[in-house]
Amino acid sequence: MTELKLPSLDYAALAPILIMLGAALVGVLVEAFVPRRSRHVVQLTLALLAVLAALTMVVLNADDRLITAGQAISVDGPTLFLQGAILVLAAMALLLIGDRSVERGGAFVAQAAVTAESADDRRQAEGRNGLTEIYPLTTFAIGGMLIFVAANDLLTMFIALEVFSLPLYLLCALARRRRLLSQEAAMKYFLLGAYASAFFLFGVALIYGFTSGIPGRGAGVDFSTINAAVTESPTSPVLLFAGMALLAIGLLFKAAAAPFHVWTPDVYQGAPTPVTGFMAACTKVAAFGALLRVFHVAFAGAAWDFTPVLGAVAVLTMLVGAVLAVTQTDIKRLLAYSSIANAGYLLVGVLSPSRDGLSGTMFYLVAYGFSVLAAFAVVTLVRDADGEATHLSRWAGLGRRSPFYAGLFTFILLAFAGIPLTSGFTSKFAIFGPALDGGQAWLVIAGVLTSMVLAFPYLRVVVMMWLSEPGESTPTVTVPGGLTSAALMIGVLATLVLGVAPAPLLDLATGAADFVR
Amino acid sequence: MTTSTVLAAAGDVSGGEEITFWILAPLALIGAIGMVAARNAVHSALWLVLTMLCLGVFYVLQAGPFIGMVQIIVYTGAIMMLFLFVLMLVGRDASDSLIETLRGQRVAAIVLGLGFAGLVGGALYRAMDGTTAVGLEQANAEGNVQGIARLLFTKYVFAFELTSALLITAAVGAMVLAHIERRKQDKVDQPSTMRARFAPGNYPGPKPGPGVFATSSSVATPARLPDGRLTERSTPDILPVRELTAQETSLKGTDQ
Amino acid sequence: MEETVHYAEATGLLGSVWLLVAIPLVSAAVLLLLGRRADRWGHWLGVAAIGAAFVLGLSSFFQLRGLENKSVELSLWDFIAVGDLRVDFGLLFDPLAAVFVLLITGVGFLIHLYAVEYMAHDAGRRRFFAYFNLFVAAMLLLVLGNNYVMLYFGWEGVGLASYLLISFWYGRPSAATAGKKAFLMNRVGDAGLAIGIFIMFATLGTTQYDEVFNGVGALTGATVLVLGLLLLLGAAGKSGQFPLQAWLPDAMEGPTPVSALIHAATMVTAGVYLIARSNPIFSANSTLQLVVVSVGALTLLMGCIIGAAKDDIKRVLAWSTVSQIGYMFLGVGLGGGAYALAIVHLLAHGFFKANMFLGAGSVMHGMKDQVDIRRFGGLSKHMKITWLTFMMGWLAIIGMFPFSGFFSKEPIIVAAFEREDWTAWLFGGAALLGAGLTAFYMTRLFVLTFHGPKRWTEDIEHPHESPALMTIPLVLLAVGSVGAGFLLSTSVPDWLTATAGLGGEHAEHEAVLSHAVITVLSLLVTVLGAGLAWFLFRAGTATAPQPAGVLVTAARRNLYTDAVNEAVFEKPGIFLTRALVYLDNRGVDGLVNGLAAAVGGGSGRLRRLQTGFVRSYATSILAGALLVMAAFLAVQAGWLA
Repeated sequence: MTELKLPSLDYAALAPILIMLGAALVGVLVEAFVPRRSRHVVQLTLALLAVLAALTMVVLNADDRLITAGQAISVDGPTLFLQGAILVLAAMALLLIGDRSVERGGAFVAQAAVTAESADDRRQAEGRNGLTEIYPLTTFAIGGMLIFVAANDLLTMFIALEVFSLPLYLLCALARRRRLLSQEAAMKYFLLGAYASAFFLFGVALIYGFTSGIPGRGAGVDFSTINAAVTESPTSPVLLFAGMALLAIGLLFKAAAAPFHVWTPDVYQGAPTPVTGFMAACTKVAAFGALLRVFHVAFAGAAWDFTPVLGAVAVLTMLVGAVLAVTQTDIKRLLAYSSIANAGYLLVGVLSPSRDGLSGTMFYLVAYGFSVLAAFAVVTLVRDADGEATHLSRWAGLGRRSPFYAGLFTFILLAFAGIPLTSGFTSKFAIFGPALDGGQAWLVIAGVLTSMVLAFPYLRVVVMMWLSEPGESTPTVTVPGGLTSAALMIGVLATLVLGVAPAPLLDLATGAADFVR
Repeated sequence: MTTSTVLAAAGDVSGGEEITFWILAPLALIGAIGMVAARNAVHSALWLVLTMLCLGVFYVLQAGPFIGMVQIIVYTGAIMMLFLFVLMLVGRDASDSLIETLRGQRVAAIVLGLGFAGLVGGALYRAMDGTTAVGLEQANAEGNVQGIARLLFTKYVFAFELTSALLITAAVGAMVLAHIERRKQDKVDQPSTMRARFAPGNYPGPKPGPGVFATSSSVATPARLPDGRLTERSTPDILPVRELTAQETSLKGTDQ
Repeated sequence: MEETVHYAEATGLLGSVWLLVAIPLVSAAVLLLLGRRADRWGHWLGVAAIGAAFVLGLSSFFQLRGLENKSVELSLWDFIAVGDLRVDFGLLFDPLAAVFVLLITGVGFLIHLYAVEYMAHDAGRRRFFAYFNLFVAAMLLLVLGNNYVMLYFGWEGVGLASYLLISFWYGRPSAATAGKKAFLMNRVGDAGLAIGIFIMFATLGTTQYDEVFNGVGALTGATVLVLGLLLLLGAAGKSGQFPLQAWLPDAMEGPTPVSALIHAATMVTAGVYLIARSNPIFSANSTLQLVVVSVGALTLLMGCIIGAAKDDIKRVLAWSTVSQIGYMFLGVGLGGGAYALAIVHLLAHGFFKANMFLGAGSVMHGMKDQVDIRRFGGLSKHMKITWLTFMMGWLAIIGMFPFSGFFSKEPIIVAAFEREDWTAWLFGGAALLGAGLTAFYMTRLFVLTFHGPKRWTEDIEHPHESPALMTIPLVLLAVGSVGAGFLLSTSVPDWLTATAGLGGEHAEHEAVLSHAVITVLSLLVTVLGAGLAWFLFRAGTATAPQPAGVLVTAARRNLYTDAVNEAVFEKPGIFLTRALVYLDNRGVDGLVNGLAAAVGGGSGRLRRLQTGFVRSYATSILAGALLVMAAFLAVQAGWLA
């Protein structure tokens, strides 16, 4: 038997991933050894420091263009850009997750095993400190996302998918209030996520089969092999197309594209709001990062074939998101449908074959992440005695009660609607421009039309906040503590700055828009 | 040497393999259908065991003895059995309603499921018909286990190590979702237990076992006190008190 | 294209002029964000920010004086780069910008200081200072931008701040209405400015000052005329000039420091700044200049006449602001050297008008927020400092020698008489008449407030002088009212001509009257007007409205301009709106509603698919998977694409 030789691991290039996973492990140990009082501070500091350290490593690696760990991980422009984006957004999300001033004890339940709605449960809802296991879980999820956008073979990608999904399923179940809803959301997310994973895995198997038999090359699921197989494989292309379809289903599920979006509203509504923000911002970046890599690197040779199908999915997604947003009555569900519609716009970017399309998509991901996190930060603030008041009717007249926060929320909604001078405008521009150049006018037309439909629910909320008289049931806005304010302000400022001066980030994205193959 | 001979020969589909397949494949399918259709959770689990066993045999047949064994030992032997234990502990009479409330749901699911299976199966059959398997000898050149080990520790070492993150997450998740920490004031020490035991209004003696002086051996049958009255204290709280028939309450004539 | 306008690159200390905008902006952000936590010290942060900006502005000013090229440009970043449109986020620091910076930060600092005390008992003081700083930041951006888009940003920014501050006491319906009125009238002007900028881009392909000014010679006369008229519309809206003057007096609903800073000293002069800045455009077309001069002359007379009939101390001051800005428009419209004169008058006006507004605030402070001058009288004994400082402002505004108003206003009158045709008599006469009227109504205001018998309401027993924090700014501003004009009229005009295009040749032709005669005449009408007012009002006035002649009634009703607005704009506007609404309901809405109904109905129907049951979700995912799979296989089989 020949000796096994470990593939070379470029530890510097892998550092962001290793730091996050290591921090998660330390976090688990902290749970075991640090006294309960100080856990929250220690964990939050640890998680934030880890994110910071990982971000530093991403910046230091900025010029890396390499494939390491066998063929498993590629560290290139898009990887680094998206990893940076995930880390920055995750830091904001951690600030929201770590806030304990908006609600006493934080947004998370103290003991998840206590039966929901029981007397014990009511007692713990009154202000016992929330679980601190959420921090290692979040850190694991961030680590998984970092791998997901860097994965250079389908198997690593699949495991990364699970590594970041599993903690998210758990986090969804840990809301302090409305726990049945939260647990139900987690259950749904878990079951449907497992269902979608099965499609993905089936797709991996078919693609593996497809890559066998290329002259001079072994079978494999790494992207360069697949890329070569698309043009050279002697095996029947049915395997390729069926595999591509199944992989697309698995990824589109995570990206919340129609018709695989069904979980989104329920999960967004049920999950603790900081986690919802985390999912809306970071999961979106991760999912689209993977979609970009799979379709731009592995299946680049089949672009002509997959574009019409994914284009149809994009149009359907935009339509479903926009049309269904119109009749929503819950702010979190409304934002969920808006995120579905945004997934449609992002797909348009994925389907632009040019470098500009790639950079535009990455820019959009960052811009949208900032805005959506800020939006959910405001949602955490609008509360009454029973926790967050998410029903839209309760938001009527909020502009009179708390003009400042209503103003911020209005600004974010206008950004979602794509009003100039907000990042919503520049990012839509960054996506639709290359799509037009790439001859995808039909997608752009669909995008513009649905944007107009989508503006309606946003403006309805704006009108409701400002032009209605505040009623008895209009909740107050809690004055947030430092953490939530910081996250909110970063989000709003980024939305503004990216709308006013998008050039630096666009340049950065353009400079990074090059996959290593 | 015999292993490698068997493995090398497995490249072609032999007659025996074909026969085994045609016997086990319907069984696996029946198991899968039975798992979905069974009303009883334990039955469902057992049907699943059947399917998994068949799959294990398939793996072995297809020159993957290691994965086949793992399938049988780990999935069927460990995981499914654990699952069964849990089902038994929770109680096998899970009272979930199995009546479908959504109109058209079953039909749609069946039609779509068959459609999807037909589509993928048909397409793959058309595409793969007549294809010969390649690469199996190569993969098993050093033996099956060694081949897998080589892949795990070279090409997929990163993914392999990554699964540890999954396992840790799962462990933390199980803890978070299932573990209740007792608060300090909920923990009771010996003196306070004693004090509570001898507190007024509490009966300090041992409870009579069920069936003491009883007319039936069921745990649901209350014990009979020396004065002939029945005492409900002897039966577990969660069990409904069993209505005794006249015959059961009548003396059995052993006191004579 | 010949390069006549060139800006040098900013270096050294001037490289940090962006801090001028950044400091107040950051301070405003901090005050807004920290919320109640900053209540205790927030106002001092606001004052300190403006103080710092003033110090920076002053040192930049001296730096600039020492430079060879008096205009430096600082390009911060590419703001918009879409297709051919390139807008720089850049600043321009030249003499014109420099004097505005000094005015804004200097007077602004004093008014901030004053407001610390004035707003001390208001629960919203922190919010007030946040808006105030926001205003200063926007105003500085307005005067410092190096292109029209930057200017437009500042323009909208000051509009927003002014709207927020006018309706600062939004609980009062009158304040809310005044805020809305200001907002709407400003929108008319802003729309003009915005369209002007679009035209600029369409015809010249740029909005940078230097490129626009260098390119304006290549444009047709008609284009320049339209462009200039649109800019003028914007300027008239912001500066309260005819026909968009009605919002300014109503804007006095805001706290007095706001009236002093925004609606007297700085923001309302933005229109003058716009025209002065755009002087290469206005100089390029004589019709345009005639229109500007006419607007100025008409407004200055209108302001005087209405001001003479008002009884609310702040409104009188507001109409006098309208009138004084009319003088400035007159000046910038005359072109040539008169540009600089107008700017000098603007600076002097900034001092004395701020002084008088703060004085009025001090009077109101002592009189329990009474604003009716018929209920004042004899206050000179009780409020010595206020009285004296107000007197300085009064003497300055009526143009008495040797106060600043004399040095700044009289040259404008002279310049008006220097026009080459019969219009010299028209505009010169209007300016002279305006001087007399100004003397009349300002004296009326001064006498009724500080002299004559007491006509106080019953609840006031002993009016008190304001605390030191309020009187110190008053004294400093009074010093400015006395001396600044003299100082300014000597050195600043020469220096200002270094601003691109400003100055040029002083009028070549002789005035229709000699300089000395005009000076004597203007002093004469001033003394006459003041004397008449003194004679009429030294014994006080009735405390209730009196029946009056046609002119006074008309003046009390703002010369029926509101009625005209109503008849000419509002009524047809309402009619048009109704007609449109009708059309909209019947025609367009049929279509749109149909669509909306389709969307809403579709949404409602689709929503039913979202049952909340996992199994139904899984089914729909399966259906989707089936479709995607079928589509991919169809593509593979060549059935699609």
